[in-house]
Amino acid sequence: MNYDFDYADVLQQLPYLLGGALVSLQIAFVAFFAGALLGLGGALGRVHGPRPLQRAIGAYVTFFTNTPALVQVFFLYYALPDAGVLLSPLTCVLIGFVLNSAAYLTEILRAGVVSVRRAELEAAATLNMSRLQIVRHVILPHVTRMIYAPLSNFFIILVLGSSMAALFGVEELTGRAINVSTTNLRTIETFSVVAVIYILITFVASLSLALLGRWAFRVHARIF
Amino acid sequence: MPQLDIRDLHAHYGREPVLQGVSLSAERGEVVGLIGPSGSGKSTLLRALVGLTQPSAGEVLVDDRRIDYRDRASQRWLRERLAIVFQQYNLFQNMTVLRNVTIAPLEIQKRSKAEVEALATTLLDKVGMGHKRDAYPDELSGGQQQRVAIARALALRPEILLLDEVTSALDPERVNEVLDTIRALTREGITMLIVSHEMAFVREVSTRVVMMDHGRVVETGPPAQIFDTPREDRTRQFVSRILRH
Repeated sequence: MNYDFDYADVLQQLPYLLGGALVSLQIAFVAFFAGALLGLGGALGRVHGPRPLQRAIGAYVTFFTNTPALVQVFFLYYALPDAGVLLSPLTCVLIGFVLNSAAYLTEILRAGVVSVRRAELEAAATLNMSRLQIVRHVILPHVTRMIYAPLSNFFIILVLGSSMAALFGVEELTGRAINVSTTNLRTIETFSVVAVIYILITFVASLSLALLGRWAFRVHARIF
Repeated sequence: MPQLDIRDLHAHYGREPVLQGVSLSAERGEVVGLIGPSGSGKSTLLRALVGLTQPSAGEVLVDDRRIDYRDRASQRWLRERLAIVFQQYNLFQNMTVLRNVTIAPLEIQKRSKAEVEALATTLLDKVGMGHKRDAYPDELSGGQQQRVAIARALALRPEILLLDEVTSALDPERVNEVLDTIRALTREGITMLIVSHEMAFVREVSTRVVMMDHGRVVETGPPAQIFDTPREDRTRQFVSRILRH
């Protein structure tokens, strides 16, 4: 291959790209935490709620986990303005990602909610705990611990999936990489640098999630 | 006036009747032993008393007050006076031993932290688990977990304590440590209903023994009557089969 690698132009743009990485992380955080909150409600409703609610949540989950996230965001991106809702591309992408991750997290969290031993729920009831107190003191800590590993993995998937936002003009890491490569025409160099940044982000995220799990939830996952 | 008065209590699992008119009362400080074959309704009776199984008919009176199991406030009132220890210990796996014991008094009864922690320490020492206060349930043996469960129930300062086959899930070697703990409690004047298959133990600690079969009370009497001179054939048959071993 007669190609002369030249990283100088890309490295000059490193601060700009890293700024984009921060945006990627922000998207992932919002999608994760808002999705987890909705997902927790979804999982509780799916397991302990009345029949019609269980069905409705089931339909929601089926729809959002069986269509591509990209298609969902596209739909929102073009449908919302038609419905008179004008939002920035970032907000639109965030809404799409939250709706999508809420569906996946409902399923992930449901596995945890189901695995709470009935014995503990009964003990909690006889100790006079209210429903909210049972969720807070018994269900939530148990669920977090049981499904900590899939939750961590899902966070990583969201970080990587946030690159989709570039298609809608959001200047996160991939979006900025496209900007950089179209001006310096060093596509290979730009995207290899961006790949390394993604690897670093996910590595640091996995490591901190594993340490957090060990410290807060007694999860003894293997880190390496 | 009995402290606990159960009148003609019925309960069903689906269509299956499990309690078919149980009447039973306990005076303050009494230790009532419940015996009978598996499926006779002993455990269901305790579950119905705390409201985990809805009674379908009959009534329960505590301190002369009728309990409405469909009403949350009434159930709360009941559960402030009545604690249960289950066969499978039922400790919260995500909490330390100390937290298991203190969570209800602190978060639900809103008692002061200093008082609750002092009481928890005393209770854990009493059941011989003081040295494990920072351990998690999965680090303990079954017998140790059960002793913690007893401490957790006592921390609520219940007036009535229900023990549902608390030793039957334990290794034979661990049974005695739990029985010793209960034996010590019976001397403290707390009203107890004990479901157990440990006949020698029931005979020793009970002030009164109730024999149940098919969701009904077959016979009630002092331990000597039930175990030595039962009046009902069914009791004689059950006791002789059990004691032969």
